[in-house]
Amino acid sequence: MTGSGLSASLLGRVAALAVVIVFLQIGVVSEVPVFGVNADLSPLAVAFVGLLCGSTLGAATGFAVGLLVDLALVQTLGVTSLIFTLIGFWSGRLRELRDPQAALTPLLVGAIASAASLVGYSLIEFMLGVDAPVSLELLRQIVLGIVVNAIVALPMWAIVRRVLEGALPEDPRRRRRRRAYTTGGLSPLSRA
Amino acid sequence: MYDKTVRRRRAVLVLLVVLSLLLLTAYFGEAPGGRLHAVQRGFLTVVSPIQDGANKALKPVRDLFGGIGDTFNAKSQRDQLRKQVDKLRRELVADQAEKRTYRQLIGIYHLDQLSLNSYHPITATVVAKSPNIWYSTVTIDKGEASGVRVNDPVVNAEGLVGKVGQVASNGAQVELITDSRMGVSARIGTGNATGIVQPKVGDPNTLLLQYLPANTPAIAGEYVVTSGTVSSPDDSLYPPGIPIGQVTSINEESAYRSVNVRPMANLHNLDVVQVLTSGRGTPAAKLSGLAANLPPGQSTAASGGGSGQLASTEAGG
Repeated sequence: MTGSGLSASLLGRVAALAVVIVFLQIGVVSEVPVFGVNADLSPLAVAFVGLLCGSTLGAATGFAVGLLVDLALVQTLGVTSLIFTLIGFWSGRLRELRDPQAALTPLLVGAIASAASLVGYSLIEFMLGVDAPVSLELLRQIVLGIVVNAIVALPMWAIVRRVLEGALPEDPRRRRRRRAYTTGGLSPLSRA
Repeated sequence: MYDKTVRRRRAVLVLLVVLSLLLLTAYFGEAPGGRLHAVQRGFLTVVSPIQDGANKALKPVRDLFGGIGDTFNAKSQRDQLRKQVDKLRRELVADQAEKRTYRQLIGIYHLDQLSLNSYHPITATVVAKSPNIWYSTVTIDKGEASGVRVNDPVVNAEGLVGKVGQVASNGAQVELITDSRMGVSARIGTGNATGIVQPKVGDPNTLLLQYLPANTPAIAGEYVVTSGTVSSPDDSLYPPGIPIGQVTSINEESAYRSVNVRPMANLHNLDVVQVLTSGRGTPAAKLSGLAANLPPGQSTAASGGGSGQLASTEAGG
């Protein structure tokens, strides 16, 4: 275990997950259109790593996954890294500040991460200058992309959590909450 | 302790964002032969065999999901194709007579130098595909070692697929015709007026043939083919007559006419493609070289100068 609470096992699992997801994405998922668009697993994976491991590891994973995507697909280096870094950091901060426990949290986080990825990418491409005419269909593609990613968010969350579960550091707040409910310390019934 | 954690968290975020911006700026500003591009090509060389292996191993999974989606479209496609076959049969009869005349003319004027025979087609397998709306690219398993070079046209059985964007020793990135960076000189059917086919970003099923003279005749259903000219010195010299798509609708504009085009090639389902490499000394290679050396003033695609200014290579043939 390192000083920051990140074990070598966790880092190894996150790295392996990132590589597998990127290759699965560009080798399989990108070739299977759903409603005319492709699901994009990479922003989902980055957001879920942030949601499970915190903002620092979330941002670092986002940067690494983005760099891998840009290198493997011969895209402009730095664009995907920038967007994914922010997505990983945001989802990590969400966990650190609010620690949402609702069952649909991953779906919402996945949808927001996908929206940020698609809109962020489009904005950067506009800023870099595009020669081709931009169709209104772009808006439909973005909305459909978010919907498709939201559909795959829950299974993706289950996979990411399963892979990282054994190596996650114990969260003091979750430990306190669990103890409170199991011992009856904070239960409204016990206080009454 | 808390302050230290907050400081470290902020430092990591700032560092990664700055690093991303530096990469972006450096990559965007450098020439295609620059260091970062070289790193990217090196990475492509390393991962191409891995992608190739993964592609073969995961093909059954992809085919399974692809098959489900294809079944939904099959019925409507069948009806559409039946109508098309009837129409093509009628056209074939008329074309046979024209073909005889055409052969005679070619014999007289020796105009057959820029046919597909001047190119050496290299068959390649698609091993990866970009999921991005802005970059429609695929990675193939053939590269410099097989004679593939940047800007070589890429086709499949259905028509034009795109051109080679980047090459590594045993892999290459192909920019599809729906990629936002593409522009292909083309014409409608047998007409003489040429325009530029560009993608409509965000609409992967539609291309736009722009800068046609306002009086250009265009009918829905007509074929759009490559014209064998280049739209800029950086562009690829596509052999003339490669089908790109079919006209779906015509847009009336003031100075120029543009038409919407549905691509012929099913770009969602690319497994095998052919790279048209031009051997040294062939007419195609000579013309590509000539086109690449044109002065910058001949470029029209980005400036919208219209088909009249296109750098035609037909005269050179």
